[in-house]
Amino acid sequence: MRPNKPSMRIPRPPVDQSSHCRTLSVGAEARNLRALRAFVEEAAASARLDVDRGYDLKVAVSEACANAVEHSGSEHRPLQVCATTYTDRLVIEIANGAHFRVNPAGGGPPEERGLGLPLMVAMVDEVRFVNTPDRGTLVRLTMLLDPTLPPPAGMRPPSSGRAR
Amino acid sequence: MEVEATQIRSVPVFAITGEIDHSNASTLSTAVETPLTRGESVILLDLTGVDYIDSGGVSVLLSTVRRLRNRGWLGVINPNENVRRLLEIVGLTVDHGFRMFADQDEAEQAIDAHTATTGGSV
Repeated sequence: MRPNKPSMRIPRPPVDQSSHCRTLSVGAEARNLRALRAFVEEAAASARLDVDRGYDLKVAVSEACANAVEHSGSEHRPLQVCATTYTDRLVIEIANGAHFRVNPAGGGPPEERGLGLPLMVAMVDEVRFVNTPDRGTLVRLTMLLDPTLPPPAGMRPPSSGRAR
Repeated sequence: MEVEATQIRSVPVFAITGEIDHSNASTLSTAVETPLTRGESVILLDLTGVDYIDSGGVSVLLSTVRRLRNRGWLGVINPNENVRRLLEIVGLTVDHGFRMFADQDEAEQAIDAHTATTGGSV
């Protein structure tokens, strides 16, 4: 039986995380999706995220990356993925320098296209899309950690910022 | 991902092992295309060996269900808990053109019932 999701207000992460991120940079190609999942799995294990919720997070990250893979064309801009573990949550950020694009018309009925966004929302505790001037659309996925477990050693305390 | 084609009661069964994602979902869609084009009314996917599936693979399931809807159904056998949850989230488990079975015995019973209903072989 899947454990209940923790119920907590999600504070806004600090802006500058470059010195605290575990990062991965790969070309936006379908063949790299497995490596991306392995990266997320490792980050989830380090954060002591429940295994089943780790699966959900892998699906959400895969959906976020698949959009970039689908629309990157021949450029294969690198996908930059950053995993930051706090005492109460794991945050995965995905960017590839391009802006998120809606699936174009054609290629099947509506119910078979556009599964990615609803799946992302269904699988994680919070999804944020931030349109940045230099990094394209940043997708930020947050999974709350089990508050009954001791926090991972050496993790950052939660931000004091308000969630929007 | 590996796909092995077999049969149960003359119904095509594809036993899949590994992960189904956007990079290899076309392998699955290619595999089911043959029975779909041939006019089969029931197709089974044995998901016992599937560790992971996301929208890349689910899209193939949805497409197959759509194409079988007026004449039969798509069945999956023994998906793990996480895969089953994903199928629930996308609404497949409440679709009349989709069935989920714990094992091959259950699938066989459903095939026999379908055969009896349609009055002939599937």
